[in-house]
Amino acid sequence: MPLKSKIEELKKRKEEVLQGGGEQANAKQAAMGKLTARERVIALLDEDSFHEYDLFVEHEARDFGMDSKVLHGDGVVIGTGTVYGAPVAVFAQDFTVAGGSLGMMHARKITKIMDYALRMRIPLIGINDSGGARIQEGVNSLAGYGEIFWRNTLSSGIIPQISVILGPCAGGAVYSPALTDFVFVVDKISKMFITGPEVIKSVLGEEISQEDLGGARVHAEITGNAHFFAESEIECFEQIKKLITYIPWNNSRKARRFEPKEPKPEYNIDNIVPNDPKQPYDVRDVIKALADDSDFFEIQELWAANIVIGFGRLNGETVGFVANQPLVMAGVLDVDSSDKAARFIRYCDAFNIPLCTLVDLPGYLPGIDQEYAGVIRHGAKLLYAYSEASVPKMTVILRKAYGGGYIAMSSRHLRSDFVFAWPGAEIAVMGPEGAANIIFRKEITEAANPDEMRRKKVEEYKEKFANPYVAASKGYIDTVIEPKETRKLLLHALEVSSTKIADRPAKKHGIPPF
Amino acid sequence: MSVLNRLDKKQLTAFIPGTIIDVKVKVGQQVKQGETLVILDAMKMHNRILSQFNTTVKEINVKSGDRVHKGFVMVVLD
Repeated sequence: MPLKSKIEELKKRKEEVLQGGGEQANAKQAAMGKLTARERVIALLDEDSFHEYDLFVEHEARDFGMDSKVLHGDGVVIGTGTVYGAPVAVFAQDFTVAGGSLGMMHARKITKIMDYALRMRIPLIGINDSGGARIQEGVNSLAGYGEIFWRNTLSSGIIPQISVILGPCAGGAVYSPALTDFVFVVDKISKMFITGPEVIKSVLGEEISQEDLGGARVHAEITGNAHFFAESEIECFEQIKKLITYIPWNNSRKARRFEPKEPKPEYNIDNIVPNDPKQPYDVRDVIKALADDSDFFEIQELWAANIVIGFGRLNGETVGFVANQPLVMAGVLDVDSSDKAARFIRYCDAFNIPLCTLVDLPGYLPGIDQEYAGVIRHGAKLLYAYSEASVPKMTVILRKAYGGGYIAMSSRHLRSDFVFAWPGAEIAVMGPEGAANIIFRKEITEAANPDEMRRKKVEEYKEKFANPYVAASKGYIDTVIEPKETRKLLLHALEVSSTKIADRPAKKHGIPPF
Repeated sequence: MSVLNRLDKKQLTAFIPGTIIDVKVKVGQQVKQGETLVILDAMKMHNRILSQFNTTVKEINVKSGDRVHKGFVMVVLD
């Protein structure tokens, strides 16, 4: 055969595979408001940067009539490309081919690209859109999932792993996204659950729709399984691309440095935090007043909103911000907010991203449900994560820092490198009311007018202890600063900590309170 | 509170016991997303209870000075 004919044959073979599940299946996918696997990869990656591998892989199933079935690419697309010039490895399940079901060769394609990503030390992006295990392939399907989970864990903390849920992701399949760093969901399209509505109905007799059980909003607002919520697939891809700009390719690198930019003048740091500690405000405005170009990329915005986490830049360098949010539930720490912040801190630490913590909280949320839900072990995650983190750590106490909350929020005692406090900071063992009631119990109860005495003693306590100077006198905070000096000091702190060495005793790994 | 109520955000409940210090709206009033409905003094904060969408106020179960328990439905939106 002449070369020309051989090239023609290659083209024909390629064309055949690139149809995916064929015209009808592609039309069905479009009718569900979904792009096809290849359309997604092309929309996500830089123009003309995608190169697909394993196009011609075929399944090996022989039972249940599978031997006569052709499944193009075995229902998954894999390859490499770039996002804003950063190299990435990608897999995208193709729902148009056998419902994107995971058989042995399908799993082998995924694990091949995962191995590749780890070996090349580049980020992995997985697009999930699959009916689940391919039943006809039996235990080979289960083996496939297991191999994926093992690689997710092996790669964790070495390369960034991003999961995009663009269709069903049910049963065992949900655990791969859960093992990765960031999960993206799209309204009305993403569905994630361990046991679906049919199983719930047959076992428990409870009826619920897929959307109410495991739709995008459920995971973005209630479970915390998702980190980013979008209204459309295209918006979702924009979020992923933006995320890529903040994170390094792997754990031996730093994130890409951008041109430094001053914050926008509309965020005036002197006017954001009210002097009255009982008045709430949006702590994101403080972050925007500090960050380059007032740009803040928030993560898990809709879940556990009483703590705010996300990326910004200081002097062009990516920084992970963690801040109590007085606007939501008074900014208390609880089970979910501790869990949310702790995981983010560990992410930043693994990927050489310095941490900047903004503190203003009344303490932990009291309640029987919180205690029963294990606020002790969940709260401990935050202490563990801050203590363990060896990246540069900067803390600014904006206002309230009481009791256990003060210790947990990146205090000097957990080895923050720089602790600054604003003049209105109140650093004390507890709030003035509670403290006065305990310390002066006798004087208050024995007074002719207990209420008046209580008021007097609360004032006395406030005067003496609700300020930053007691902590400053012990060296627990490094300096008390004016709000407008904060950015300058943070930039300086970053500069002097760029060569930081934090020695820790060698160990296999710690036992964080998972 | 069921998951579905948590998602539709029509019932605004107290996240912790506290005292109502202000009710900013009336039954039947149209409210905008982000508008303050009630101010709840709890956890050393004057917490603003906000509407999450544009709608009208269907029920108000509190007045200034009321003590509310955790989970108490303060406002119902349409």
